[in-house]
Amino acid sequence: MNNWQILWQARDQFWSGFLSTMTIFGLSISAAFLIGCVMLYLLEGSRPRLAMPLRVFIDGMRMLPFLILAYLLYYGLPGLGIRLDAWWSGIGALAVYHGCYFAEIFRGARLTFPPGQVEAAKAHGFTKGKMFLRLILPQIIMQTRPLLGNQLIYALKDTAFLVIITVQELTAAANSLSGTYFIPTEAFIVVIGFYWAVSIVMEVIIKQCGRFSARRGFDNV
Amino acid sequence: MSEAGIESRKAPTDAAVAIRNLSKSFDNVEVLRDVNLEVKKGDVVTILGSSGSGKSTLLRCINWLEQPERGSIHIAGERIGTTDDGRAMSVKALARVRAKTGMVFQGFNLWPHLNVLHNVTEAPIHVLGKSRHEAEAHARELLEKVGMSHKMDAYPNTLSGGQKQRVAIARALAMQPEVMLFDEPTSALDPELVGEVLGVIKDLSAEGYTMVIVTHEMAFSRAVSDQVVFLEKGLIIEQADPETFFTNPATERVQKFLERHD
Amino acid sequence: MNASAWHMLLEGAWTTLWISGVSIAMGVTAGLVLALIRIAKIPVVDQVLVLYISLARATPLVTLALFIFLSAPTFGIQLDRSVAGILALTLNTTAFNAEIWRSAFRNFSREQREAAMATGMTPWITFRRIMLPQMLITSLPGLINEMSFLIKGSPAIAVIGIVDLTRVTNRISAVTYEPLPPILVACVLYMAIIGCLVWAQRVAERRANRLAV
Repeated sequence: MNNWQILWQARDQFWSGFLSTMTIFGLSISAAFLIGCVMLYLLEGSRPRLAMPLRVFIDGMRMLPFLILAYLLYYGLPGLGIRLDAWWSGIGALAVYHGCYFAEIFRGARLTFPPGQVEAAKAHGFTKGKMFLRLILPQIIMQTRPLLGNQLIYALKDTAFLVIITVQELTAAANSLSGTYFIPTEAFIVVIGFYWAVSIVMEVIIKQCGRFSARRGFDNV
Repeated sequence: MSEAGIESRKAPTDAAVAIRNLSKSFDNVEVLRDVNLEVKKGDVVTILGSSGSGKSTLLRCINWLEQPERGSIHIAGERIGTTDDGRAMSVKALARVRAKTGMVFQGFNLWPHLNVLHNVTEAPIHVLGKSRHEAEAHARELLEKVGMSHKMDAYPNTLSGGQKQRVAIARALAMQPEVMLFDEPTSALDPELVGEVLGVIKDLSAEGYTMVIVTHEMAFSRAVSDQVVFLEKGLIIEQADPETFFTNPATERVQKFLERHD
Repeated sequence: MNASAWHMLLEGAWTTLWISGVSIAMGVTAGLVLALIRIAKIPVVDQVLVLYISLARATPLVTLALFIFLSAPTFGIQLDRSVAGILALTLNTTAFNAEIWRSAFRNFSREQREAAMATGMTPWITFRRIMLPQMLITSLPGLINEMSFLIKGSPAIAVIGIVDLTRVTNRISAVTYEPLPPILVACVLYMAIIGCLVWAQRVAERRANRLAV
C-alpha cells in the first residue's frame, strides 16, 4: 500500500478535521462580524465614555498575537474561575480578536463617510440607530469588501493555531495522521490543499459580491 | 573598439545633432514623417508647432527615449540607438551616447529622495565616474549659474516649480553634454515663474551652449533662436532664421499659427 | 511570579525576537529578489512564483511549521527546530514582501526613470541609485506592517517545540500553577514589541508621504 492509499483510508479523519475547522471558522467569523458592527456603532459616539476605552481595547488586541489571546481564554481564565473547553475558548478568542480587526477596518471607512449623507438622513427624520443600520453600515461593508475578504483569510489561517490548545481541527488531523503512519509529507500536502481551496473559494465569493457593490458604485476601492 | 569602428559611426558632418529620414508611429499613426534636421555646434534651435504635431516626440527621439522605426540620429558624430546595419545598440553603449545629451523635462522629474546638490552630482559620479569632490565643485558652480546655490541642501518637494526646473537644468548641464534638449520647459509652471526659467536658458544660449528647445513661448523663441523649426503632423513644414520665420513666414499654415499666438 | 519566571519570560521574548528578526531579514531580501524575478516575467518561473505566493498566503503558519519540521526527516534532512521555525516564517513572509516590493516597482514613476536614462544611466545604475532607494522608502510602511504580522504569527513555531514568548507561559505555569500572570506579562511584552513597530510604521509613512510630493 502506498502512502496516498493510506491517506485515502484515513479520509474520515481529514473530513472530520475539515468540518471541525469550517464550523469553528463559520461560527467565529459570524460572531466577529457582529462584534465588529456593534463596536462600530459604539464608536459612533452616542456613549462617549465607552468609545475611548473601546478604542484602546481594539488597538490593544491588534498588538497581540492571536495565540496569546487563545492562551488567555483557555489557560488564563480558569484562574478567575471561568472554565471554557478548548473548542469554545478557541471560538471565543477568534471572535473577539477578529471582531476588533473588523471594527478597525469599518472605522477606517467610517472616517471618510460623507457627512452630507448623515445630515440628509437626519433631515429625513431617521433615528440614530436606524440611520446606522440602514445607511452607514451597508455602505461601509460594501466599501471595505476587499479588506474584509483579506481578514476572512487571516481568520481561516488563525484557526490552525487552535491545534496548540488541543482543538481537533484540520491541522490536528494531519498531525495525528503523520504521527500514526509516518507520512507527514503527504498528510500535510492534503491539508494545505484544503486551506488553499477554501481561500480560493472565499476570494471568488468576495469578488462576486463585488459585482453587487459595483453596480452601486463601490468598485473603486 | 578599433579605430575603424569609431570611424564608421561618424556622421558626414560635424553637427551636434544630425537627424536623417526619421519616421516614427504610435499605433499605426505616423507622428514623425521623414524628418531631417541638423543642429550646428553652438546653435539654438526651437521647435514650434501645435500640440500633437510630433515636436515632443522628435525631441525624445534624439536621446532615444522614443525609438523611431526608420532613420538615424547622430550626436556629435556618434550614432545613437541603432548601429549602421540597423541593429539595436547594447544597453551600455546607448547609455554612453545618451550621456552626451542633457534633457530638461516639462515635469522637472527631479529625484525626490536626493537633495538639490545630489540631484546634480548623481549622474556625474555614477555615469561619468567623477570623484565626489570634483562633481560637487562643478555642481556648486552650476547651481550658482542657475541661481539655486542657496537651496543646495533642500529636497525637491520644498521647491517651487521654477526652482525645480532650474535645478533640473543644472542637473542636465552637469553632464557637460554636447547638446541640451528642453521639452516644453515652462509649460508646467505658474505664469509668474516662467520668466526665471526662460532667463536661465537665455543666459545659456549667450554662453554658446547647443540647445534644442520645444516651446510655446513665441517671444522667447524669437529672442533666443538661431533657427526655428515648425512641425505639423510630423512633417517639418518650415525652417528658417527667427527674423524670417516671425516676420515673413513662407507658408500660410505658419502665418495662421503666429496670428493665433500673438 | 518569582525571579526565575521573569527570567524565563525574557528568554522567551528573546527567542521570539531573534527568530523573527532573522526571518524578517531573510524575508525582506528574498521578497525583493522574487519581485524582481516576477517583473522579468520569465515564462514557467513566473507561474511557479504565482503558485508559491498564492499557496503561502493561504497556508497557516502552524501547518507550514509542522509540515517542514515533520517532513524534512523523510527526505533525509535533519532540521534543527529553530531552523525549521525560521524557514516556515521566512517562506510565509517572503510571499507577502514580494507583493509589496512588486507594487512599489510597478508604481514607480516612468518620468523619473526617463530622467535617469536621459543622463546616461544604465538600467542597472538607474535601478540601484534612483529606484531602489525610493522603493525602500515607499515600501517601508508595508514592510513594517508585514513585520508586525510576522511577530503576531510567530507563536506558531511553538507547535514544533520552540519555547517562544507564548509557549514559555506554559512552562512557567507548570511550576507555579498560576497561568494568568505569565500570560498577562507576555501580552504586555508583545504589545511593547509590536507597539514599537506600529510607531516605526507611522514614522515611515510620514517619510513616504514626503517623497510623494
